Amino acid sequence: MTPHPTDDLAAFAIGALDRPDAARVEDHLAACAACRTEVASFDEVAWGIAELAPMNDGAADLRGRVVARASRQRAVASSRSSGFGALGRLFSFRVPVAVPLALAVLFGVSVAGLQGARSEADAYGRALAGVAAGTVVSLAPTPGSDVRGSLVLTEGGDPYLILRLPAPPAGKTWEAWVIRGERPIPAGISGTRSGVVTLVLSENVRPGDVVALTLENAGGVPLPQGPVVLQGRT
Amino acid sequence: MPGRRPDEQLLACIAAGDAEALGDLHDAYGRTVFAVVYRMLSSPDAAEEVVQDVFHSVWRRAGDYQRERGAVRTWLLAIARNAAIDWRRTKGKRMEREVELDAVASRPSESSVEDTVLMTLRAERVRDGVRALPAEQRDVLALAFWGGLTQTEIAERTGTPLGTVKSRVRLGMEKLRQLLAEAAT
Repeated sequence: MTPHPTDDLAAFAIGALDRPDAARVEDHLAACAACRTEVASFDEVAWGIAELAPMNDGAADLRGRVVARASRQRAVASSRSSGFGALGRLFSFRVPVAVPLALAVLFGVSVAGLQGARSEADAYGRALAGVAAGTVVSLAPTPGSDVRGSLVLTEGGDPYLILRLPAPPAGKTWEAWVIRGERPIPAGISGTRSGVVTLVLSENVRPGDVVALTLENAGGVPLPQGPVVLQGRT
Repeated sequence: MPGRRPDEQLLACIAAGDAEALGDLHDAYGRTVFAVVYRMLSSPDAAEEVVQDVFHSVWRRAGDYQRERGAVRTWLLAIARNAAIDWRRTKGKRMEREVELDAVASRPSESSVEDTVLMTLRAERVRDGVRALPAEQRDVLALAFWGGLTQTEIAERTGTPLGTVKSRVRLGMEKLRQLLAEAAT
């Protein structure tokens, strides 16, 4: 067993250790009941500090939204066979373009002020070139689709899409999916945004997953039903 | 909170795909999680976005929880604070205003009277303890807990030697722990 990190346990409990030190303490805790007890006592303090925060329940439907989001994923998980086979087969080719880019600073991509297809194309290109670190996977557009997009996988961060989107029709939204095996997992909607946008995926992307974008009813749907406009496999 | 399932049982149910168990966990800790995130971000919209992401992380990662690493609420609090810190670093402007460990504000709440009383009593003990801390210990704890800074970052930001910051964090936490223990007996 490593030496007891006694002096670091209080800081560990409130998340004040640098990552390597925190990892070292975690490893030690896995094997040391005495230090776990010590940390647990500091956890009580940390929770006590948390309860000093001014109480505010947030939006009345926050709980409902939390449960609905989870239920939505569960519904997707339990309906693997319902009409998804065709979509799954559609995604079954490999998109080989995985271009690691280690360029300068990631710059913000805005939907504002983009005029016309050319400037949007330029902005989309600049957005891709501006990816600071990570792997960029091109997503293949369905023939006839005006949508363009790439998946960006980053070390330790949430995956996200850089998209060039036309405005969705009224009552519709672009919805992202992570398809794991035969299971489509809703991963975010673009709302009414158009132009060059980023969309952080709410689902991790694992090797072999397919990422896709479809046009769905506003607010999103638990299973993909609309036309596929982008697709690619990691 | 009597009558509800134990935290670890809730988490096991969540890991098994029980969305209502996630709602129960939100019932138990959602207010405090929201309050912490709101306190760290100073934006109700951002706090709602982050809290939804926090509980979605719980939904996705419930199977990863290890009881030997700490209580469920500690795990949840860590997820929430990390999410708020990430949000601030990626989307929010860094808060430059001074943070205080025991800031109080009266905001409306719909929780039960019993819960509110219990939480208020506990908070009062902690608040008393915080007020009794030397200012330098109070400040480093505030920067760490609400500011999301590591000890190294606090040292750099305040121009204080790292060893001194570490001592202040440890001493401050030990004093608060002692006070809570005395109040419980």
